[in-house]
Amino acid sequence: MKEVDLEAVGLRHVSKRFGSHQAVDDLSLSVPEGSVYGFIGPNGSGKTTTIRMILHIISADAGEIEVLGSVSTRANSDQVGYLPEERGLYKKMTVRRQLAYYASLKGMTARAAHLAIDDWLERFELSPWGHRKIEALSKGMAQKIQFISAAIAKPKLLILDEPFTGLDPVNLEVLRKAILELNKQGTTVIFSTHDMAMAERLCDFIFMIYEGRKVLDGTLETIQQQYGEDTVRLEIDGGSRLLEGLPEVERILDQGNYQEVTPSGDPQALLKALVQKTRVKRFELARPSLHDIFLRIAGPEAQEGQAQ
Amino acid sequence: MRKVFSVMRTEYLNSVRSKGFLIGLAMLPLIIGFTVLAQVMTRDKADLSDRTFAVVDRSGRLFSIIEQKAAERNSEAIYRTDDGGGKKQIRPRFLPVVYDETQAEDKQLQLELSERVRQDKLFAFLIIGAKAIDGKGDEAARIAYFTQTQTYTQLPNWLKSVLNAEIKRIRFSEAGIDKGLVESLSRSVNFKELGLVKVSGEGELIEAEEKNDAVTYGVPFATMFLLFMLVMMSCPTLLNTVLEEKMQRISELLISSVSPFQLMLGKILGAVCLSLTLSVLYVGAAIGMLWYFELSRLVPWSMYLWFGTFLLLALFMYGSVFAGIGAVCSEMKDAQSLMTPAMILIMLPLFCWQPVLQSPNSAFSTWVSLFPPATPMMMMLRLATSPGPPAWQVALSLVVTVTFTLGCVWAGAKIFRIGILSYGQTPTLGRLVRWIVSG
Repeated sequence: MKEVDLEAVGLRHVSKRFGSHQAVDDLSLSVPEGSVYGFIGPNGSGKTTTIRMILHIISADAGEIEVLGSVSTRANSDQVGYLPEERGLYKKMTVRRQLAYYASLKGMTARAAHLAIDDWLERFELSPWGHRKIEALSKGMAQKIQFISAAIAKPKLLILDEPFTGLDPVNLEVLRKAILELNKQGTTVIFSTHDMAMAERLCDFIFMIYEGRKVLDGTLETIQQQYGEDTVRLEIDGGSRLLEGLPEVERILDQGNYQEVTPSGDPQALLKALVQKTRVKRFELARPSLHDIFLRIAGPEAQEGQAQ
Repeated sequence: MRKVFSVMRTEYLNSVRSKGFLIGLAMLPLIIGFTVLAQVMTRDKADLSDRTFAVVDRSGRLFSIIEQKAAERNSEAIYRTDDGGGKKQIRPRFLPVVYDETQAEDKQLQLELSERVRQDKLFAFLIIGAKAIDGKGDEAARIAYFTQTQTYTQLPNWLKSVLNAEIKRIRFSEAGIDKGLVESLSRSVNFKELGLVKVSGEGELIEAEEKNDAVTYGVPFATMFLLFMLVMMSCPTLLNTVLEEKMQRISELLISSVSPFQLMLGKILGAVCLSLTLSVLYVGAAIGMLWYFELSRLVPWSMYLWFGTFLLLALFMYGSVFAGIGAVCSEMKDAQSLMTPAMILIMLPLFCWQPVLQSPNSAFSTWVSLFPPATPMMMMLRLATSPGPPAWQVALSLVVTVTFTLGCVWAGAKIFRIGILSYGQTPTLGRLVRWIVSG
């Protein structure tokens, strides 16, 4: 992990309500400069609202938001790049004109924008498409153009709302590399995602919001430490079917080729019970994955528990 | 301001590079050209079928003159002589036939003849009362024309004119008055419509000019109509682009870079540039034509200045209204229902330009030209119509319109700011008012 000290984004006791729905509730957050910060949370939990407040697209009802040293103003909007969840491109405009327009809105001169467009299109192997209209592009290509429009002005802060949705593994890797490249050059990256594995791989910090409230915030390591080594990764003949109904098992997360199990008591008791029933190929005490943590907080069981 | 310029530039270039711009550009001259062409082409397309009509002449003295005048007309007046000297029929023949059943009862006769008209054996019929020449009394003094094609007015008008002239002639003759004397004394008066005399800078008297219909009616109407067309060609487009950006979720991205007010202002300025481009082309063409035909004196230069001023005010006023409407809607059908009241306001001058042109300084003209949504077009119409409005009214109209336009931009910006990111809410007037008064 990189060394970080200054704050790129700071939220202090921020709240936002839409009618009777409390979208964000007393949220405080500090995104260090130069970090990659992952926003996770179920749909409708307040991720996009938080992002929009950081961008001053909507204003907070209460609290203070500081972006690149500027408190509650749009003063630094030229230094912030944004890729929205719902893609926004003019279908009838050519790729180059579109990118030039977005670059000009970020204060770039026409010449600088021209050079940057050349560079980005080449990097994403989209040079032959520069004079084509957006409507002629595939979904993956349009997604890359959308990313370029967010990154073209070399922002100090890049906010990406679900950047990997709908991308094939090749394009996903291209985009991931581009994000890391920008981060290496000093850009702070905030991105929201539903892909927990990607969040684990890419993020220095992870923040989880659930029903408008912060439920996790920290490095993956610190988050996992909160839960301790309470998970057993198992690979057994017979799969998850054999685990159902065992009194030694509290919950099972079936990952297909292996299972993540939370024992109800001593893991040794579980191992003993399993050995009596089947052949155990893997029995590993581990910290829970981000995916598992997410489900423990926002999964159906957690919701049932809350309801009770 | 740099960002406003970027939005304006993109908005403008998107518009002028589209096919719609070229179509729109050609639309006005095409409409005018097509109207003229249609008139020329349909001029010779009149229904030339014979108009046979029965005449029941109870006076016993008028059918012969109708027959004679119809024969004269059918031999000359229905033809047009072209440049080569050839004749071409352009009007139908009128063929009177006498109907002898003069003794039949009136109602029975009318029914019988009506039936013949229905069967297309006749086009119309005329019943001339026994005392028609005297003209005194009721039924017997009446001349009645019956037809089922009441929209065709050439025949009854011709009959009216022929019978009027003949009956007057008979009356004068029976009174022993010389026909030549009557004609001489009945000649038309020498009536001229003039403007006012002026005094030149050197103190010389400038004679009053004769009334010129092109100046009196053509210039004011053309000026107002051009203003209307320029607003119509740019402001509704603004609604479409705002709505398109909202539907394609581009607005959110733009709002992350520019404030909603900057975005709206840039868009309105783009529409202003588009409109100015069109007006430079149209007004330039008009100036060129006036110069070519040596008619430049018909439109004083101050008129172009007023035109530019009121065009700008109208564009900002309606531009902010249409941008606001585009921002609150999420679908085209919502926009269409909200557009209707705005369109009625824009079209208001088209409903009341005639009384204003007739009496440009009446109370009605004054009030309607001081009603801000109609002011740009109505005041322009009054300015182009002699004698022109008093200076205080022009000044007041400017103050009122500038204030109202600023109000529209302010309200439009408030609606735009909230509406541009609101989805799934049906726009209602109440909601719009709430957005305007909200902080």
